[in-house]
Amino acid sequence: MNFVIPTIPDATRAQHASKGWPLALAGSVLLLVSGLLSWSYDPSILGDISIAFWPATFQLFAMILGVIGIVLALMHQGPLSKLGNWFDAALGLRALGTASLLVILFGLFAISYQAGGLININPGGWVALLGAILLLVGGRFVPQRTLHSFAKAKANSTLEIVVIVVLMALVLFGLAYVLGQDDPWVFVGFLIMAGGAAMALARAGFFTWLSHISQRHRHVLTLAAFAVAFLFPFTQDGSDANMSIATQVLIFAATAIGLNIVVGLAGLLDLGYIAFLGSGAYVAAMMSNAASATIGWKPPFVVVMLIGACVAATLGLIIGSPTLRVSGDYLAIVTLAFGEIFRLSMFNLDGNNGPDLTNGPNGIPGIPDLNLFGFDFGKPHEIAGFTLGRFSNYYFVLLLLIGFIILVFTRLNNSRIGRGWVAIREDERAAEAMGVNTFALKLLGFAVGAFLAGLAGTIKAHQDTASSPDQYIFLESAFLLSAVVLGGMGTVAGVLVGATILKLLPEKLRFFSEYRLLLFGLLLVVMMRVRPEGLIASKRRQLEFHEDDEALASEIQQDHLVEKAAEAAR
Amino acid sequence: MTVIETDVQDGRPRPQRGAKVLDAEKVVMRFGGLVAVNNVDFDVHEGEIVGLIGPNGAGKTTFFNCLTGMYKPTSGTVRFYGEVLPPKPRAVVKAGMARTFQNIRLFGNMTALENVMVGRYCRTTSGAITSVLHGPKYRREEAESRARAAELLDFVGLGKSAELLARNMPYGDQRRLEIARALATDPKLILLDEPTAGMNPQETQQAMDLIFKIRDMGLAVVVIEHDMRFIFQLCDRVLCLVRGEALIWGTPGEVQSDPRVIEAYIGGSELEDDEDDA
Amino acid sequence: METFLQQLINGLTLGSLYALIAVGYTVVYGIVQLINFAHGEVFMIGAFGALATYLLLFQGQTALWILPIMIIGAMVAAVGTAVAMERVAYRPLRNAPRLAPLITAIGISVFLQEFIRLFFDKIPGTNFPSAKAKIPFPQIDVVTGKAFSPLAGVQIQRAAVFTIAMMALSALGLWYFINKTKTGRGMQAVSQDPDTARLMGINVDRIIVAAFAVGAALAGIAGVAQGLQITNINFKMGFIAGLKAFTAAVLGGIGNIQGAVIGGLVLGMAEAMITQYTGMLPDPFGQFGGSSWKDVWAFALLIIVLVFRPQGLLGAKVVDRA
Repeated sequence: MNFVIPTIPDATRAQHASKGWPLALAGSVLLLVSGLLSWSYDPSILGDISIAFWPATFQLFAMILGVIGIVLALMHQGPLSKLGNWFDAALGLRALGTASLLVILFGLFAISYQAGGLININPGGWVALLGAILLLVGGRFVPQRTLHSFAKAKANSTLEIVVIVVLMALVLFGLAYVLGQDDPWVFVGFLIMAGGAAMALARAGFFTWLSHISQRHRHVLTLAAFAVAFLFPFTQDGSDANMSIATQVLIFAATAIGLNIVVGLAGLLDLGYIAFLGSGAYVAAMMSNAASATIGWKPPFVVVMLIGACVAATLGLIIGSPTLRVSGDYLAIVTLAFGEIFRLSMFNLDGNNGPDLTNGPNGIPGIPDLNLFGFDFGKPHEIAGFTLGRFSNYYFVLLLLIGFIILVFTRLNNSRIGRGWVAIREDERAAEAMGVNTFALKLLGFAVGAFLAGLAGTIKAHQDTASSPDQYIFLESAFLLSAVVLGGMGTVAGVLVGATILKLLPEKLRFFSEYRLLLFGLLLVVMMRVRPEGLIASKRRQLEFHEDDEALASEIQQDHLVEKAAEAAR
Repeated sequence: MTVIETDVQDGRPRPQRGAKVLDAEKVVMRFGGLVAVNNVDFDVHEGEIVGLIGPNGAGKTTFFNCLTGMYKPTSGTVRFYGEVLPPKPRAVVKAGMARTFQNIRLFGNMTALENVMVGRYCRTTSGAITSVLHGPKYRREEAESRARAAELLDFVGLGKSAELLARNMPYGDQRRLEIARALATDPKLILLDEPTAGMNPQETQQAMDLIFKIRDMGLAVVVIEHDMRFIFQLCDRVLCLVRGEALIWGTPGEVQSDPRVIEAYIGGSELEDDEDDA
Repeated sequence: METFLQQLINGLTLGSLYALIAVGYTVVYGIVQLINFAHGEVFMIGAFGALATYLLLFQGQTALWILPIMIIGAMVAAVGTAVAMERVAYRPLRNAPRLAPLITAIGISVFLQEFIRLFFDKIPGTNFPSAKAKIPFPQIDVVTGKAFSPLAGVQIQRAAVFTIAMMALSALGLWYFINKTKTGRGMQAVSQDPDTARLMGINVDRIIVAAFAVGAALAGIAGVAQGLQITNINFKMGFIAGLKAFTAAVLGGIGNIQGAVIGGLVLGMAEAMITQYTGMLPDPFGQFGGSSWKDVWAFALLIIVLVFRPQGLLGAKVVDRA
């Protein structure tokens, strides 16, 4: 992913090398200062950025960018110069310059659009623009330094753990902040800022370092991530609006990670995956206490979950059975057809067309809230002075579920079964000739994926309070697949990102909800051309999508060796 | 027919011949009207290296595929330790027969170690549940697989390359890695399809040493090759196929001195073929 | 007996429609081994192209001579869309892993549907109705109107005759194109062996575009036929029709053009007969018949064919679809 602004010829850069650093530093300082000035004449827009010394929204964004800029600049030259031996401050500053300009321009545009003209921009805005331009220009002239490899870095466990924890706390703050924004301009502005800052840090090599230290402290990272996710509802002040979105994101992500087992690990395309979520949801609905539930037996919910998951897994085995004979595009179509058959059957089984199981097109409404061990999911609860609403209750259950699904995903991936799947993806006939039971492994992929989706479905039914056929159309399968493809095949982090983008953006950006699907279609086409392996792809998947790219292969090789060396050193 | 010429071969003692591993009787393979393999007898013993030669299109690969269970012979039987194996590659591997490929078929995006560990797949049984729970069985098998794979990489001389991606490895190393992967399935018999194709003389010599080492472990080895000198130095017995029939089946000395072999090779041009091996 | 005849005619009509669309799947597959999932949308765009032509030029008229112009409008819209999608989306992915074109196709499909839904009434210089709901399709003299009734109890819609006739004409035209024109023979050569064809001086890129165009032209005709028959069109009409037509293409042996036509007719017949006769079965079974289950049976048929006879009824090029 490259920025559009062309780079400067090396000769010119060398000639003016000394001027770059002061410019970039000055720009960063200006950005920081601008946050303390008034940006807008009109106090009613963008969360009031008209007051000096009381930074809000875009003022804050400018300050964050400014701080990052100052730190990077001081790494290049100055008190943090030692760090500059490890991080590429020059590349970071260049990316940061572009990002800052984008954010500030977007902010100024937002002010003038909402308040009616550029006239409404106060000096703070112009100072920020000047700062961004200086940073952009200066950054381009900062020369790169030769760097040490992280493999040689001395490990400092305490520091590393602190970094991980602080980072996770920042993620929590960021999430709470962005979800609290109802103004789409601020929302988008924040996304540009966060994306730009992340890009700058990535360019500087910060994430490479982060991935090294998270390798070393995997448990700390996992724990911290879950702590953040667990604490999130407490930042919402009892409001259910964002928690409703969050639970939807979680269900979607849980299902998508299950799909990633099928697609990303086993390498099989499933265009009807939503049927597994649906079968879990329908089982839960039919066995619930809803007035129109069609099955008289009402076992405890844990049993219902297992039944739902097993029904889904059985369907998975049935849908997977053609893999004995069919592969590739044909398999995709077979699964698509199965998905449609599921939806049509749910639509039809209303008593007139076959037995009454699903109430046909009306579905099963009025599914009561869960009540586990006396804990009523429908009611708000007080915990340590915080009020947690209905959706928060479901959120915690879903968090447990997604934790379980992630565990299954990663552990299967790192087992003999995972290696078998890779072998099948690489060369199925060679795998068979080496004694790998290819058919059983493919079936297993389908069954495990379906089982997990079925589990998620049983919870979804109660959270939605209804189950109807129109929730399980092909488009939903396409969405799930896109979360996998967009985020990254074969990784959990990728799918989480993909699922968040696909579910969160449309919820927060209501003004574009009309164009949601249009953009979605376009996004798929563009992604397949630009980055078919997804935003955060597993290294192996990346290699598979670029079989001819020798440079990539040796780069990944290098990374792998560094990791192994670090592992061995421990 | 199976006279052993000397007790020493290529400077090393020839081990005692063990039990009969593979026994092919009157194998016929027809594709429609074409008879690719006609009435061929063949057998291999433990601790023995047997070569399979023949000009282009002689049916070597087809015969090879009959032996490894890729094809079910039209008539005749292939017995492995006295038993007829089902024509399924997986069952054949499980029974103890492993192979390499003429055109290397490694899993390119896996490391060398992982490639070999895939070979351990059929000798391990950890299922999904123990893998997810990291149960005792998983831990034991995973550690065992890793250790065995590392040991095999050392055995073929790739101990230092364990963490390299297979696709990044030099050609000769890839061939050796394929052998290590095949050995990881704990075979009694290993079949090598042109193990020196595309190698320089030095690499060829190393390959020969490696094959002797494998034989010395008591395995039976079958080699398909074009390189005559290589075959005659390496093998205890050689089968020469011409147009699907066994032209001669004997010691390297016998085959080498048979005028029909030379004629067959001059008659049918001896180009490096690219028969599909699968 | 009347019922049977009636269903025969219904099946033939339905089958002709499927056949017209199925050709597009099969021609493209034969040349580039790509399943163009977005082909159903090309059919939909064809229908809207015809409608747009009508609304722009002949609003309120019903004369027969308008129909050919509408068909041309449909073909232009369909071919334009198909060629553009080949150029922009598929061509860059020709050597990519198989997943990439498939996902791209889903993306194109969603995009085209939404594009029509959102923007059909916003095309500058026009006054089209919004496509968010069904839009009535124009009535044309002779081909719409009172149905024929050659026998008591048997009704033949005029639009059905039109569909079947267009199918027959298209089949003839297609045969001529494939066998008698230079481009058609080039297509045959490329489908046999693209590398050799390239060495022989055939412009493979052009042939691929031609394949997309031919399929789209027929899909455009199908769009008009569907519009006349159902009397309205909507942006979602391509999805199920596309899937059914794909079933037809596989049934006939994908890559095989005669196969697509025959597969379409067989599927249409089967669907009509199953719809009619399964509903008449005694009760636990009869409940699973009739029109509410017909799509289920069609998809079940698709699965069965893909699994047990992927080369189709007539057989096709055997391609390892790994």
